[in-house]
Amino acid sequence: MSLLLDHITYTYPGTTHGLHDVSLRVDTGELVAVIGPSGSGKSTLLKLVAGLETGHTGSILLNGENVAGKPMHQRNIGMVFQQYALFPHLSVVDNVAYGLKLRKVPLNERQNRARDLLALTGLAEYAERSISRLSGGQQQRVALARALAIDPLALLLDEPLAALDASIRGHLRDQIRTIQKRFNATTLLVTHDQEEALTMADKVAVLKDGRLLQFSTPEEIYRAPANKAVAEFVGLSTILPATVIARDLIDAGFARLATATGHRQVGQSVFALIRPENIVPTPSSDATNRISGHIGTQRYLGSIYRYDFLADGAALPLLVESHQIAGNAIALPPEHITLLDS
Amino acid sequence: MIRGISIIYGIYLLLPIALLIVGSFGSTWTNTLLPSGTTARWYVELWVDPSFRKAFVASLTVAVSACVINTIIAVPLAYALYHRAGQRGSIAARLVSAMPVAVPTITLGFGYIIVFNTDYAPWLGTLPLLIAAHAVHTLPYLTNTLLTDLRHLALDRLEAAAATLGASPWQQFIGIVVPNLRQSLISGLVMVAAISVGEFGLSNLLTSFQNRTYPVVLLQAFYGATGFACAATVILLLLACASAFISSSVIKKS
Repeated sequence: MSLLLDHITYTYPGTTHGLHDVSLRVDTGELVAVIGPSGSGKSTLLKLVAGLETGHTGSILLNGENVAGKPMHQRNIGMVFQQYALFPHLSVVDNVAYGLKLRKVPLNERQNRARDLLALTGLAEYAERSISRLSGGQQQRVALARALAIDPLALLLDEPLAALDASIRGHLRDQIRTIQKRFNATTLLVTHDQEEALTMADKVAVLKDGRLLQFSTPEEIYRAPANKAVAEFVGLSTILPATVIARDLIDAGFARLATATGHRQVGQSVFALIRPENIVPTPSSDATNRISGHIGTQRYLGSIYRYDFLADGAALPLLVESHQIAGNAIALPPEHITLLDS
Repeated sequence: MIRGISIIYGIYLLLPIALLIVGSFGSTWTNTLLPSGTTARWYVELWVDPSFRKAFVASLTVAVSACVINTIIAVPLAYALYHRAGQRGSIAARLVSAMPVAVPTITLGFGYIIVFNTDYAPWLGTLPLLIAAHAVHTLPYLTNTLLTDLRHLALDRLEAAAATLGASPWQQFIGIVVPNLRQSLISGLVMVAAISVGEFGLSNLLTSFQNRTYPVVLLQAFYGATGFACAATVILLLLACASAFISSSVIKKS
């Protein structure tokens, strides 16, 4: 079971918003997270796959079959909505069994299957309850069980944790991932929460203004973002405008920094990306890219400190994360400076 | 201030009702503050009076028929209005559904008299016409009750969820929409029944002697003994109270 989006273009009628030539692939059992700021088109992508929106160009292939023109109820796609969308007139177990009832599965069999799924999501004892007596996290687990009950060709998760408290979000994230793996469900997750995407996904697709900026593993998205927009959206960082002044040397205005410049020409404008955890807070006096300055705003996060380091002569502060606050100098290891073309 | 207004409102609302009940059990009541003597004979007379019994049955027939017709029309109508909200079709439909509320029943009644007193449509005075008139008059009340509930439920999301699970549009309507509208449908229908039972203006203009409704016959009672008129009115009141009770207990349950 795989989901293939091939050159999808869609514009909302009367606007220029939508998706522009987006292609991505979710292999069997894979979880692909689509992230991007609001208005990036990530929800539109999900709606097109589900059939909630129609009229795109390009093709959506579900298990090799083009679903364009197939109405929503014939696509066999399980979907979990941000606001749960459970049926208030049905009990928990009847909600889970609803899709099986439509498939004319005999009463006993569908009740048993629904109960098995509820047990798997840790909700066995809530089977007979009314939906309104469940917490948000429990409702979302029922929604997941309901979507999986129909043995869907693909599973779509539309901001499944956005409506929940931060305290249970982390736990539920792990639980959803475990269940998704267990069912080997081909899954597309839409989220605005990059942490959710990085922790849950096998691959991440970053969208902005309806265009796919990058589609690769979470590690690659974080370590080697394709451009400035991806770098800005994923993870914390400092992005410095700079110019290549020699082979493996750039000028960031306040300092000259050694880093691999690769194929770039002298004189080319670039952005230097530096992740806060890669900055060395207590460098030796002869360290490469040693920069002096002073500490700005500090935030204590429990396990680490996150603070601004104001380099002498620099316009932008450098964001640093370390166990101990730096003194009056830091170092930017050359291997941790990633150059992005501007 | 608010308490004062409530008390005055309560007195004006409840005192006439209390007097009606007292009067219905009084044997004579002329030119005195309260009736003299106690009797149940007005209720017995009412019970044996064929015109009242007939009117009672006619009123129930009209009310129940209006409920059935309204259910068949209002549920799909409200559903269509909900889904087409903001479009041109919705404004037209809204206008049609709200008009009977704005137009006085007497205007509606005269209109019917003109149209249905012709050789082409000589149905004035028939029961079906009366039922149709009641259905038209009460339809907007039910439609609006359902519409409020539809908006409150955020039904489009539930429909989308049902669709992903394999429900066709018809299965979504029957399996998701209708069950979730059950409560508001019942309370809306109680309102329809109560309005139909108490409706006078339209019925008075459109009924023939054969199928007069209860309020129309009730008017005749006012020309006879006071006690009889009181008893007849109390029966109407009981009908209305029963409707209100059913309605509120249904809402409480939900």
